[in-house]
Amino acid sequence: MNTTSHVTGTFADRRPPDRQWRTRDILVVAVIAVAFGVFFWAFGVAWRALEGLGPLLNVLYGFWLLPAIVAPLIVRKPGAALFAELVAASLSAILGASWGIDVLVSGLLQGGAAELVFAAFAYRRYTVPVLVLAALASAAAAFVHDWLVWYPAYSSDALLLIALFMGISALVLIPAAALALVGALRRAGVLEGFPA
Amino acid sequence: MIGPIELDERSRSTPLGRASPLAKLAVAVVWLGGLALTVDPRPPALLAALALASGLLLGRIPVGTLVGRLAPLGLAALVVGISNALVSPANADPAQFEVGRLGSLRLTLPAAQAGLSLGLRVVAIASLGTVFALTTDATRLTDALVQVARLPERFAYGALAAYQAVPGLSRDLTTLQQARRIRGLRQSWHPEVLLALLVLAVRHADRQAVAMDARAFGLGPRTRYRVERWRRQDTVLILISVLVLAAALATSRL
Amino acid sequence: MFQDPGSQLVMERVEDEVAFGLENRAWPLERMRARVPEALREIGLRGSERRRSTSLSGGEQQRLALAGVLAPAPPILVLDEPTANLDPDEAGHFLERLHELRSAGMTIVLIEHRAELAWPLADELLVLRSDGRQLDAGPVGAVVERQGEALLGAGVWLPSAIESRLTGQQPPATTGTPGLVPLPASSPLLSARSLSFAYDGRPAVADVDLEVAGGERICLVGRNGSGKSTLGRLLVGLLRPAAGKVRLAGREPFRLAPVALARLCGYGFQDPEQQFFRGTVAEEVRAGLEPGEAERVEPLMAALGLPLERFGERSPYRLSGGEQRRVSLAAILLRRPSLLVLDEPTFGQDRRSYEALLALLRDQVETGTAIVAATHDPRLAADLAERIVVLRGGALAADEPTERFLRDGAARLAAGWSSADVRRLPASDRP
Ligand SMILES: Nc1ncnc2c1ncn2[C@@H]1O[C@H](COP(=O)(O)OP(=O)(O)OP(=O)(O)O)[C@@H](O)[C@H]1O
Ligand SMILES: Nc1ncnc2c1ncn2[C@@H]1O[C@H](COP(=O)(O)OP(=O)(O)OP(=O)(O)O)[C@@H](O)[C@H]1O
Ligand SMILES: [Mg+2]
Ligand SMILES: [Mg+2]
Repeated sequence: MNTTSHVTGTFADRRPPDRQWRTRDILVVAVIAVAFGVFFWAFGVAWRALEGLGPLLNVLYGFWLLPAIVAPLIVRKPGAALFAELVAASLSAILGASWGIDVLVSGLLQGGAAELVFAAFAYRRYTVPVLVLAALASAAAAFVHDWLVWYPAYSSDALLLIALFMGISALVLIPAAALALVGALRRAGVLEGFPA
Repeated sequence: MIGPIELDERSRSTPLGRASPLAKLAVAVVWLGGLALTVDPRPPALLAALALASGLLLGRIPVGTLVGRLAPLGLAALVVGISNALVSPANADPAQFEVGRLGSLRLTLPAAQAGLSLGLRVVAIASLGTVFALTTDATRLTDALVQVARLPERFAYGALAAYQAVPGLSRDLTTLQQARRIRGLRQSWHPEVLLALLVLAVRHADRQAVAMDARAFGLGPRTRYRVERWRRQDTVLILISVLVLAAALATSRL
Repeated sequence: MFQDPGSQLVMERVEDEVAFGLENRAWPLERMRARVPEALREIGLRGSERRRSTSLSGGEQQRLALAGVLAPAPPILVLDEPTANLDPDEAGHFLERLHELRSAGMTIVLIEHRAELAWPLADELLVLRSDGRQLDAGPVGAVVERQGEALLGAGVWLPSAIESRLTGQQPPATTGTPGLVPLPASSPLLSARSLSFAYDGRPAVADVDLEVAGGERICLVGRNGSGKSTLGRLLVGLLRPAAGKVRLAGREPFRLAPVALARLCGYGFQDPEQQFFRGTVAEEVRAGLEPGEAERVEPLMAALGLPLERFGERSPYRLSGGEQRRVSLAAILLRRPSLLVLDEPTFGQDRRSYEALLALLRDQVETGTAIVAATHDPRLAADLAERIVVLRGGALAADEPTERFLRDGAARLAAGWSSADVRRLPASDRP
């Protein structure tokens, strides 16, 4: 019996993951992305002062990168990172946030970069190193975009500082926050039917 | 309360309101790319003025609405402009003409110019985004993405359904914060609040998914109640905007 | 269909919502164009085609959801407490619509606690026991004959006529009057003066004056959107009044710090899930408790039918709707504040939980706590309140003793209650 269960185990591991998206998968990714958007928006209103930072608010980038890690961690299917970022980004375009259009482009880049990392692991591995890599890729894409669009005139010292800041956030903060959130959601029992 | 902008029937019948949302999106993205190519203040100033003028004339956006939406951006433009000017490497170059000095900080002419043009870039991008948002309907944009751009239908309408959760989630957030307060818990931005909001989001998604499945969503090929087409005017709009962009970029000397 | 109308709508505009199910079933455009207005007319939303579904009232949203489900003419309809958050008038209309559908030959499965409303609709009855197993099924009359005693024992709500026939007596008066003499009115515990509030410029509460004495039991009634929840939140300082003043025990609740506020008053939200923060029931009810309050947890949870040994380690999100509501109330009742404002506290409860809850509320009143409960449930109003406050369009339409209210046609109309709602009350509660 022991061997049987062992064989079943490996078989299950080798079986290609289910790549079909159920309606529930689509909605969970999309609504989570929307919830991040709503939270961030309300936070921004509560802290009016932040608004003046405009695009430089990206220093708090970690928050925008979170959906690209949290969503694929819950729904482990191709496209989850990209879809989540696009939904979160187009939310601001639709709500009429002023850089809506630019957020769309940066959402595409950030989600796409994280997506590539998950794809490289065939959507099978969601371990801490993979999450860190995805967060780093996403942060790198965000950094390049912002550099070109918002601070092309910065001196290299300033750019280095920003890169360092985002790097640390991607290396530690984002994966840790994503894991904590998804773990707590799982414990609350609302993620039944999603891979643990 | 937040929620998508209400477009009334009047603004939908204006030239910009009638244009394909996809065409407007394409114009906005092309201009955005063009703006990233130059650090001269002239092109962003020109494009911002054009975007606002077309919003007012072709989109008949009321002046008050437009100003109200753009007002907070003044500060953002200042921050971007000044920060770019202050940390520009040109300031360290003793050969550059000095326009001002603040303690040990030196502001040179090229740095000030860069600051000005990047501040204007913020204004231009914000104007584009605002005019787009104030003349575009989310349902029509989704229809166009599906019917014209052939994006996957289930994802597009899934996303549209998720946007319907915005007012609900924003009320949920307020209520969660009130619930903390009445129970004697401090910190209304505690991480627990974000977590609780995500829980409610998943619950909402579950219910919506069941409701959509029960209504045969994604069962097979769908028909369309609203028809979105790409018209010749949309191609013309894009061509003109590319020409305008080229002309604007031609004014730059840097 | 679920009880929360908002969460089942998927499109931005009313007509697109109705068309959604037709598109999915690949109806040709011509047929959709004919069917959509028809489906909207059937539920009385004609003329609202281009409105945003999020801008509709709760009742309208629920009707729209029904139209969306009905448009493709499905053979069977399953509804889970669909009238949950509707005022009696809206609920009546909704059930009338179900009546019509039933006459037209549609199969309807309705999951419902509100026996008075639902039973007249039913041909067959399926009763589940608390362990989820089937108690009995069959034609309504036969099930009542066979299982009369068991139904009463299981805490199932029965229409009061059937109930009195089964017990052979008047149903025990659940009214809270015995032993509950209003405390001599000294200075009021709470007083609100020309209170107003608006959401984004749209008035929700307008110029309301209200006084509440210690130990008083008040029900706040009114149609959907009349401002009950908003007024409730104003009273306990969760919203800042746009105009007017609230004084609670001599202080302005809006200005109090969370800890001080929680000592003074409690608020039970309309949707219990919106007040959960913690991963388990035990942590949830203990959150924010002060030393000395913790020992009340076990007895209270047991009294509510949620003993900690069975429920303590469960996630509050994985409970039934009725259980969630009791957990959310437990978290507030534990604090024994001087003022309790409860939004639909008994909604979705079976008879047994309802009575347990009522008993607990009475205990609180005896210690001097004042209760203000917003509700659509005529039964709770009759059972709990000594005074009824009616809101209409955010303004005070009536403020009178329960007895008088039940006889006051104009006030009842303002609240959206029909005389049938009063007639359906147990005889002992009727004026
Ligand atoms: N957070 C909010 N933002 C904007 N408008 C709101 C909000 N909450 C309530 N409203 C509006 O204010 C009015 C009063 O709402 P309120 O929830 O107080 O009514 P209610 O009497 O509790 O209704 P119900 O019986 O449906 O619970 C309604 O028109 C409602 O749409
Ligand atoms: N998601 C869940 N995970 C685990 N257990 C659950 C979940 N939802 C409900 N339960 C449990 O299953 C049982 C039946 O729940 P259900 O929601 O079907 O009850 P119900 O008859 O609809 O009750 P109510 O009248 O209170 O709505 C309850 O004891 C509840 O605690
Ligand atoms: Mg209410
Ligand atoms: Mg239930």
